[in-house]
Amino acid sequence: MSDASSEATGAGSDPDPAPTADEGLLESRSTRELTAWAAVGTLAVLLLGGAAFPDTILGVLADVVTDKNTLASALRLSVPIAFAALGGIFSEKAGVINIGLEGLLIISAFTAIYVTDLTGGIWIGFGGGVVASTLLALLFAVVTIEFRADQIIAGLAVWLIALGLAPFASQVIYNGPNTPTVATTGSISVPVLAEIPFFGALFSASPSVYMLFVAVAASWYVFERTAFGRWIRASGENPKALDTAGVNVSRVRYAGVLISGVLAGMGGSALSLDLGQFTGNGPTMVNGKGFIAIVAYLFGNYNPIGAFLATMLFAGLDAIQTVLQLQGIGLPRQLIRIIPFVVVIIVLALVGRTRLPAAAGDHYESGEE
Amino acid sequence: MSPADRVRRALRRLVAASAVERILISSAALLLSILLGAVLVLIAGRMTTCTASDAVYYLGVGFCYDPVLVFDRLFLGALGEPFSGGWSPEGQFSVTLRETTLLIFTGLSVALAFRAGIFNIGTQGQMVIGGLATAILVFRAAGAVSGVAGTVLLIPFGIAVGAVFGGLYGSIPGFLKAYADANEVITTIMLNFIATGVTLYLVSGAFKDPESAANQTVPLPEYAQFPTVLFGGRQDFSLVALAVGLLAIGGLYYLLEHTAFGYDIRTSGLQPDAAEYGGVDAKRTIVASLTLSGAFGGVAGAMYVMMVLGTFQSGLPSYGFDGITVSILAGNNPVGVAFAALLFGVLKSGTTVVQFATDVPPQLVGVLRGLIILFVAMPEFFRMVGRRVVDPGSDPVAADGGTTGGSGDE
Repeated sequence: MSDASSEATGAGSDPDPAPTADEGLLESRSTRELTAWAAVGTLAVLLLGGAAFPDTILGVLADVVTDKNTLASALRLSVPIAFAALGGIFSEKAGVINIGLEGLLIISAFTAIYVTDLTGGIWIGFGGGVVASTLLALLFAVVTIEFRADQIIAGLAVWLIALGLAPFASQVIYNGPNTPTVATTGSISVPVLAEIPFFGALFSASPSVYMLFVAVAASWYVFERTAFGRWIRASGENPKALDTAGVNVSRVRYAGVLISGVLAGMGGSALSLDLGQFTGNGPTMVNGKGFIAIVAYLFGNYNPIGAFLATMLFAGLDAIQTVLQLQGIGLPRQLIRIIPFVVVIIVLALVGRTRLPAAAGDHYESGEE
Repeated sequence: MSPADRVRRALRRLVAASAVERILISSAALLLSILLGAVLVLIAGRMTTCTASDAVYYLGVGFCYDPVLVFDRLFLGALGEPFSGGWSPEGQFSVTLRETTLLIFTGLSVALAFRAGIFNIGTQGQMVIGGLATAILVFRAAGAVSGVAGTVLLIPFGIAVGAVFGGLYGSIPGFLKAYADANEVITTIMLNFIATGVTLYLVSGAFKDPESAANQTVPLPEYAQFPTVLFGGRQDFSLVALAVGLLAIGGLYYLLEHTAFGYDIRTSGLQPDAAEYGGVDAKRTIVASLTLSGAFGGVAGAMYVMMVLGTFQSGLPSYGFDGITVSILAGNNPVGVAFAALLFGVLKSGTTVVQFATDVPPQLVGVLRGLIILFVAMPEFFRMVGRRVVDPGSDPVAADGGTTGGSGDE
């Protein structure tokens, strides 16, 4: 009891000039919980209001939110973001902030279509995208780990290189920034379960959605239950201790960045193969998903499941705005489209300082060499 | 010795030691990017198809694109064919200077924030907002004045409008970073998307030119645009605008090097903790530097509207992202920005010449943009190469303990 009250007063007397790491964590966790509860609360009010007044805008919104198709499209939209977010967790936990996720998504989205077009095999194309993204991640790893480049600047470079390279290649090969369309992955439907109202959407989805479920679970398992997961964590939190224990820090960081390349590559390939086309105008079809992924894993506190739920929040908003657009309700199209970006900023402002892994962003120099 | 003195001394040492090295590294990075670009052109030349007579042959292998021709066109074309006689300032050279003028402002915008230790990726969005505000407000004001007097009044007014709106938009990530700890890399990138969406909404609706099919504002009258001096007017370049750009460079240099505020900015960028210990208000410095950075971005937008287009159209070219390259290439130094902007201006203007002379896609310059940033970001690579060349055989000796954690500068 006394503990709780002292904590409450501690949180009340907010303006602390120099918060320690622990207080920062506590503070951000409570805002994070608050934000999550606010989202749940809004949803509840929406559903109750919708049930009470079915003919108002609340009713329409409630219908949209409880629609099976909304969940289905939210899942579809979350695939590239969630894959990239998982990748970001691996990289950043290992101590390398990978702000180039957007670039990895772009390069894999294009390559997946190109290889599919070349070979005719969708899954070969999928693999091609993953390989392209992993190679770009390898370049990023060499530059940051071997040559001690500033991680943020090198990450921006990865993004800008891909942002130039994908439309360049598309122009060379297809005479335009957009590729022709290829076959898509289609969807897998589990016979009886797919008929369940609303949650049936979980059982009638494209293969990439199932792959995402597996990836989320596997990532969680790696971090919580395996030695490799502990190495990754140590590499970002206390590389010296890891070095002392006889594990090569550079190698662990390489692994972290390369895994982020593989995961982001799966996200990018899934994104373009879902539509069967790569569009490379302006910010390309990836359109900021890599950056939203970063906010998703910060909001999810570097936890794969948390990151997935945060992604579902963003993707859910995106799905709802798409439906609203189709129904021609409310705000104009151009403004509805910026809602996810606005929400990202609000979430980031509410979550505030996230506790980065202690050594993330720093180059680690082992004594030998 | 007070902490401020200590910081000042550390600063001076750092600047003296790194100025020459920075120039060397930037030049090496540029050269390496162009070499890699040439390789990319060769590879692209293998992936496309052309008739045998159009192909060039290196070592017995045919390529559809010739990198020598590409870079010849890129550089000589951008300078207006200086070696083929009949050089005139009205040709492609004025396009190069036009691009340079715009890149000076976006480059200064990014550089100022960088010096304060802040990544402003949002120059693009600040430019878009500033440009739209200029197009709308200058058009409104243009009715009240006309002729030469109109030009004299409207141009400074337009620049001020761009600066104010760009600055306000830049202050948003500033406040978010200072008071909510929100990472500015993410917020500025998100604000770029928001700026694009909001301006598209405005120019396709309330402020749309009813006589145009495109999403644009009503064009400004001639007297509300930058006058052309010496350079004809065919290529939408104004020497006056370039002069404003050079003034801005001088102004920012003075601000950073000779004022108390500039000192606060630099120390916050190099040693945030020491700066705060020495009495710098960190939050205020963050907001102020991002606001000022945004103002430069906004002026770039105003310049684009009043010099190039004469109206605001949705889908502005990505001068804001190019500004990141310019600033990084310049070592975030305002004077360096002048040279880096000219270099990158040549690249951008040359791309259009390349497009006419060959089939190489214009997106090549986008790739070069990223490569240059990547190489400048890894000075250690060039130091290693340098050590090999200067002193072969002796391996670098690692300090005992190895807890220093890499180089202190970026």
